[in-house]
Amino acid sequence: MNGGKVRIERIDAYRWRVPRHGGMRTDGLIFADAALMRDLEGDQALQQVANVAHLPGIVGPAIAMPDIHWGYGFPIGGVAAFDEDEGVVSPGGVGYDINCGVRLLATPLAIGDVRPRLRELVDGLYRTIPSGVGASRSDLRLERRDLERVLRDGARWVVARGYGSESDLDAIEANGTLPGADPDCVSDRAKSRGRDQLGTVGSGNHFIEVGYVAERYDTTVADRLGLEPGTVTVSIHSGSRGLGYQVCDDYLDTMLAAADKYGIALPDKQLCCAPIGSPEGARYWGAMNAAANYAFANRQLMAHYARQALRRVFGDDAADRTRLVYDVCHNIAKHETHEVAGRRRRLCVHRKGATRAFPPGHAELSPTFRDLGQPVLIPGDMGRYSYVLVGTEGAYRETFGSSCHGAGRRLSRHKAKQLARSRNIPKELEDQGIVVRAATRATVDEELPEAYKDVARVVEVVHAAGIGRKVAQLKPVGVVKG
Amino acid sequence: MGLYQAGLDALRELLVGSNPVAAAEERTIALRGADPTERLIHFLADVLYLYDTQRFLAARVSPAGVEGEGFDPARHTAVREVKAVTHHGARVERDERGYRATIVFDV
Repeated sequence: MNGGKVRIERIDAYRWRVPRHGGMRTDGLIFADAALMRDLEGDQALQQVANVAHLPGIVGPAIAMPDIHWGYGFPIGGVAAFDEDEGVVSPGGVGYDINCGVRLLATPLAIGDVRPRLRELVDGLYRTIPSGVGASRSDLRLERRDLERVLRDGARWVVARGYGSESDLDAIEANGTLPGADPDCVSDRAKSRGRDQLGTVGSGNHFIEVGYVAERYDTTVADRLGLEPGTVTVSIHSGSRGLGYQVCDDYLDTMLAAADKYGIALPDKQLCCAPIGSPEGARYWGAMNAAANYAFANRQLMAHYARQALRRVFGDDAADRTRLVYDVCHNIAKHETHEVAGRRRRLCVHRKGATRAFPPGHAELSPTFRDLGQPVLIPGDMGRYSYVLVGTEGAYRETFGSSCHGAGRRLSRHKAKQLARSRNIPKELEDQGIVVRAATRATVDEELPEAYKDVARVVEVVHAAGIGRKVAQLKPVGVVKG
Repeated sequence: MGLYQAGLDALRELLVGSNPVAAAEERTIALRGADPTERLIHFLADVLYLYDTQRFLAARVSPAGVEGEGFDPARHTAVREVKAVTHHGARVERDERGYRATIVFDV
């Protein structure tokens, strides 16, 4: 198959190889069915998979999930693992929005109870959680000392301030605090971009969504996660806001110089990187983890405000019994142990637009989830559906314990806007029973459902390839967009 | 029109569309970077930083940096968030007609 300049070989119905050639140190491995691969023909994302395979110390293949699309340097939907001694760490392998991720709340309410007051709930979420360009909280401007604590302690700091509970922390990847954070590695410029944005959703593809459990594929796991038929859910998709963008930007400059200093040949400047153990690598690590903790804190605070919105409409009991199902990172690098060719190795796994999907029994999962596998939250577009999956042994063996992260864009923002120009997208969604509130019409237009691949196709590939297992499907009824 | 002014206009259009912005106050920007492309990227990143942290909208390039005014919700519409000025495919070239630059913004 012709993937632009990149040669692609089919392995089976769901796997494709980019054979090692030129300066590649390993193969590329893409998870997709034939239809998704056809969509990718000529897309630069395939070349980006090959580019990642050039980086020093890469272990196993450069991997792409079925929601792969073009990103800066690394493709979005990419997973790459590097040897801790010989490998590199790259800001481009994590992305601008460090620890962009999703959290899912399950309310005690059924869809039939919520429908009559849906508009009130969505309006309440829109008022309570600032969204849109430059969104900031006038009620929570962090002092410098507070910000340092957020960067060091993440969601734990937010819970200690009374916004949430210990049981929330149990249901967050890494319990909402990554240990390698060093606030001193975060520039003043990044700190000032983040100071008044904690508890805000931002714009672009970020959202707060009210949905309900529409289908269940694994009733045992769904029951354990509190996802009964018709259960109303609230999903929050956001990340580290301006602070994370600035950390990435700052360290791209550092890493461009570092790549030169350490003699690392780059097929694309945005793959710039440094050896994991170098001073530059260590400083990025401290800053990246600090930004990731900011993102955990951000989603924790927004969950608190979502509960407040539920409280105002449905009362104390509904708010107090709203549980955090799980919170996952989509853009992160982590040190993990994996078995490679029969040997256990410490690796630095980059996931950019990919979700950790550890299998049942993995020691890093909290006891609550250890027998289930890690919940994997896969949002779709705002008109169709989202999915809850769990991690599998297959993912652990084949993808360094990783799965997909979403639908993946199929139209650029410009094309989406053109398509939406003569239409009223909020009205179309309202006719389908979905209430939309947005800061600007432009965001809704750019995010119209057709701008994304059908996430069901992406999830089917993941499920069929064994790198995730379907648990439930959620359908949206209310969306707050930035 | 100068290269930096064209870049500034493109960024401002992404941020607030075609809303007029007055050149009422000045902000200093020190140019940095090893080559013309890096210098343009950093200049635009500084303009973005002024908007993101001070809500300062730059209208035009000045000898010391940029001139502009504060974002006024009555006259300006925040159209979209720009995360960063990226290095992806960035280049500044000179030809017989002047400069040609490619800059990709992450939105």
